[in-house]
Amino acid sequence: MPEIIVKFEDKVIERIVTEKKRISIGRTNDNDIVLENRAVSRKHAIIEFNNNAAVVMDNESLNGTFVNNRKVSEEVLREDDIITIGKYSLVYHNEISQGQNAGANFDGTMVLRTKRQKKLLENDKVEKEMVTRYGGSVLIGEENADFSEFRIDRDVTTLGKAKFVHVRAKGFLLSGIQAKIVKENSGFALVNLGKRGKTKVNGEEIDRCVLKNGDFITIGKSTFKFVEGNR
Amino acid sequence: MKLALISDVHGNLEALTAVLQDIDKQKVDKIHCLGDVIGYGSDPTACLELVSKNCDIKLMGNHEYVILGLEPPDSYTHAARVSAVWTQDHLTDKELSLMADFEIDRYIDDLYLVHASPFEPDRWHYVLGPDEATAAFERLQGRLCFHGHSHIPLIFSEMPNQPLRRRVGHSFLPNSETRHLINIGSVGQPRDNDPRACYVTFDINEEGEEEVTYHRVEYDIETAQSKMAQARLPDILIDRLTVGR
Repeated sequence: MPEIIVKFEDKVIERIVTEKKRISIGRTNDNDIVLENRAVSRKHAIIEFNNNAAVVMDNESLNGTFVNNRKVSEEVLREDDIITIGKYSLVYHNEISQGQNAGANFDGTMVLRTKRQKKLLENDKVEKEMVTRYGGSVLIGEENADFSEFRIDRDVTTLGKAKFVHVRAKGFLLSGIQAKIVKENSGFALVNLGKRGKTKVNGEEIDRCVLKNGDFITIGKSTFKFVEGNR
Repeated sequence: MKLALISDVHGNLEALTAVLQDIDKQKVDKIHCLGDVIGYGSDPTACLELVSKNCDIKLMGNHEYVILGLEPPDSYTHAARVSAVWTQDHLTDKELSLMADFEIDRYIDDLYLVHASPFEPDRWHYVLGPDEATAAFERLQGRLCFHGHSHIPLIFSEMPNQPLRRRVGHSFLPNSETRHLINIGSVGQPRDNDPRACYVTFDINEEGEEEVTYHRVEYDIETAQSKMAQARLPDILIDRLTVGR
């Protein structure tokens, strides 16, 4: 059964397991998930579940619905996707789909002024422009990277310490080719090739991982953000 | 109208001072204290004086009850008993008479203030699970209840025709059809794995919109602990301040 973990400013406040086909999210009591915050619209968004797939739909909310920090109107949810609504984040879990691609109305809502949300909106705009400019997915150098933006368009993109790799990374005991990003279906997957524990996605060690928009890839001491194009 | 609500100070002067300074910045109209000003900590006298001076409504907690001799400390742990005896030895008649004037509970229109639970307020029930919350809602006359006792910020919400909702304490806007039991956490001995002092403000603006805000305040834990060690209070009470549980 799908589970939604509700967080408020990064603190887990509630876990919701649902059998429903459709759940509504909003500020008023007639919603299935009530988020009592001025930045949340009365009927802010809905999530529909169908054969282990889940789709979040924004209901023309004033302050927007974000999935993995990207503003969305409609988005297929994948395991561990984070829906941000106002100061709340909702983490989507579905055991069965684990690791797979499961694939405002101005109603008195206050315009959100939190720094975090502003930043999200700005980042979203910048990233959208970026993927349009590059015409595809992009890595953004976040820490210890020798580029600020790098387009991912090859069948195989190599990452590691060696001089010949596409994406150079820093760090002790790092392998020459520590990892590769490969095309997979319509997206990309990150595969560890080198020393165990040196390839991480969102802070967790991985062997292989389908990349989602907004994922942070850490190779040794270097961190890159994956921004998915053509969404 | 803006209220600050504090509870479970437990003789922790460093935490209380830091919280009162923080409240000062919030520009509140009144501060109410929901009980257990003393017990566990090394500064019962100073905390009682500060609460008496700064707080409007002052409620009785189970620790005041025991220290005043209104009930025996039967349900107390060894450490709680040791600290109760220590506290009794360090309070004068003047301070005991201050405590004796504390009220058991108080309604302010739709708001209800109590130390533990609206269900048998002087029996000090914890409200942590749905059964305890259901019993509490049955006795609650008002729409919003602010309480303390468990030292764990927690919100139970009762909406018409929906199952009871239990959430970790967080800032939110109550709406008029929902009743809430709001545990405001503890100033002097938090137990939710966050060692910072906790209190709540409740604000009603001119349009009648309500807002509950949780505040966490850092304070000088080490000083509070060294004073407790000097007073030879039990280690378990000293150590838990570091981790907040």
